[in-house]
Amino acid sequence: MNLEKVVFGFFVLLAATLNFGFFIGDIDDPVLHNRFELFAAVVVNLIATVLKFGDRTQIGAVHLATSLVADLQLISAALVFGYAVYVSTAGLTPGTMASIVSLSGGALLANLVSVVLLVVETVSFHRG
Amino acid sequence: MSNPLLTFWAHRNRREEEERRARRARLLAAAASANRASATIFLILRRMRAPLIVLIVIFSISVLGLALIPGQDAEGRPWDMGFFDAIYVMSYTATTIGFGEIPYPFTYNQRMWLTISIYLTVVGWAYAIGSLLGLVQDRAFRSALALQRFTRKVARLSEPFVLIAGYGRAGELLGHSMDALGRRVVVLDRDAERIDELELESYHGDVPGLAADARDPGHLGVAGLDHPCCEAVVALTDDDEANLAVVMTTALLRPDLRVIARATTHVIAERMRVFGAPSVVNPFDLFGDHVRLALRAPASYQLLTWLESGPGAALPARGAPPRSGRWVICGYGRLGRELTADLRAEGIDVTVIDPSPHDDVDDVVVAGGYESGVLAAVGLEEAVGFVAGTDNDITNLSLVETARRTNPALFLAARQNRPSSAPLFAAMELDALLVPTEEVAHEVYAQLSTPLLWRFLREMPALGDAWAADLVDRLTDVCGQHLQALWKVRLNEREAPALMPWLASGQARLGDLLRNPEDRGEPLHAVPLLLLRRDDAALAPDPDCVLAPGDELLLAGWPAARRALEITLVVDAVREYVVSGRRVPSGWLWGTLSRPAPDADEERVGARSTR
Repeated sequence: MNLEKVVFGFFVLLAATLNFGFFIGDIDDPVLHNRFELFAAVVVNLIATVLKFGDRTQIGAVHLATSLVADLQLISAALVFGYAVYVSTAGLTPGTMASIVSLSGGALLANLVSVVLLVVETVSFHRG
Repeated sequence: MSNPLLTFWAHRNRREEEERRARRARLLAAAASANRASATIFLILRRMRAPLIVLIVIFSISVLGLALIPGQDAEGRPWDMGFFDAIYVMSYTATTIGFGEIPYPFTYNQRMWLTISIYLTVVGWAYAIGSLLGLVQDRAFRSALALQRFTRKVARLSEPFVLIAGYGRAGELLGHSMDALGRRVVVLDRDAERIDELELESYHGDVPGLAADARDPGHLGVAGLDHPCCEAVVALTDDDEANLAVVMTTALLRPDLRVIARATTHVIAERMRVFGAPSVVNPFDLFGDHVRLALRAPASYQLLTWLESGPGAALPARGAPPRSGRWVICGYGRLGRELTADLRAEGIDVTVIDPSPHDDVDDVVVAGGYESGVLAAVGLEEAVGFVAGTDNDITNLSLVETARRTNPALFLAARQNRPSSAPLFAAMELDALLVPTEEVAHEVYAQLSTPLLWRFLREMPALGDAWAADLVDRLTDVCGQHLQALWKVRLNEREAPALMPWLASGQARLGDLLRNPEDRGEPLHAVPLLLLRRDDAALAPDPDCVLAPGDELLLAGWPAARRALEITLVVDAVREYVVSGRRVPSGWLWGTLSRPAPDADEERVGARSTR
């Protein structure tokens, strides 16, 4: 067992699960989407991105790319959230909530790709 | 293989195969060094992982705590700080900017948490910034950056350049001479200090330099070996083996390139010649040849050294080495061997002094030369020439001084090994001085500057001493004591469009061309050194020589003369005035107006206004 691999797998999976937890539920209902969960998803995604730095393999490059996509989407979602709560006069409307959740849905897709890559890497290592 | 067609095909296939192999190897070599540079960048990223994660974790924990801890607004009602406020407060607190307690004064709960956060974040930032600065100072990282910058500079070169492997004293001299000619150079040297010194030197052009071992094909690759603008590779390191490696790499990866390499022994020179056709420069061999030339024709030797020294060089003094009499040579190393053989070939008696006995030469005295009485014992009083040729500057200086005391009339020659000894040797006022690095630099310069100069220098000794003395006089009349510009002119459609009809007439005399465009009564301040027609070279052609289209000329003279000649070659009206003395209008309007009724005044105005 390689501790580095454990930490890496842990963060990649945690990023995906947190993202999923935020995403699940009616798309325009603010009650079902916790802002703390979004915050945790952003932080864990950033850590996962940094963990993917400096891998020279092809699969490492794709890993980093998926993580960067997820970061971009989640940070956009957080910015929209912040704008709706603090700046917008209309407040957190169902429409804004829907766009926040759909942005996090995009990030979820990227995170799922990351998980698939992780599984593929692990399986091919055992076969090879 | 008796069928010539089959032979032809086999030959063609082999050449294609060679070409393909060279191309493949070139790609591999360049890729290897590019990989090495990017590997370091990946290493840096990998090392930044821990500090970045620590920073993210600390920051997120502080923000989360601040967002969770209940606060109060100005009226004391319970108020939760949102994520935005929490991130804002933590950002200015962590970076030690400190705007205060925003938007409402904090509760004690919040202040306790913030106190912990401040210490945590300061540690996090200090760790991250410290690691980043440490990496910037890192040697591997800096050399990777230098390699990338160098690669980019070389890749952007769009004019022909010379790749110099080994930037010692010889490389430096060659670089400056090439720079004075307006040519670009790229430099490779194992010593990082030499490369750093590049920045302090006064080059006109930008000289990309890399501190790397030239024996590595990858380094030669990034230094421009596979660049289409690379015109020649010069191997001037002080290590024969490294020079051989450069010759080998170039012959295998770029068989079409010119290679000039320095070699100090015949064995290495032979090993170099196995790979293609490099020109091998042996400083000791060269000095021997020069001494023979100086013995036979002092003026030819003077002209040779002057032209080889590059633009701006002062006219060297014309030595007069004694032709009859006995010479004494101290030191029987690489220089001593060459010199003894060359002098004996000229029919001159030579006595050799060397600390170790040698079987392959007659008349050897086994001694250091500086012992009392040795110089007297070899009969230095009756000798005419003395050479101090050991590889130790101090020994050489003391030998020369001793010899001068013994016999003040001696012709004294010495070898200078280190550049730092130059003032001492200059103070000695010797009759001949060998500086191996300068010898090499001048020879390589002569070969690279223009093929015409190289041709001139090779054919010039055959014309005799009186001819050379005459040419030196003509050059000093025109240029003065310092060599001015040395340039080449091609009389073809591209470089001399205005000259073509005149050249085709068959009446084109060289003397008519070399006149001042301002006043044709005055000759141009330039001396034609060589006229090349296809493969026939005429040295120092006289003014009555008839030019033909396609001729190439090598000229020496003032830079102003070069500019004036360029105008004559390109502008029709100037050419007409220079050649025939007629002022003709060069503009279309005046040309059309003056053609039906040629009026002298009108023509003059026309020619002036267009200049």
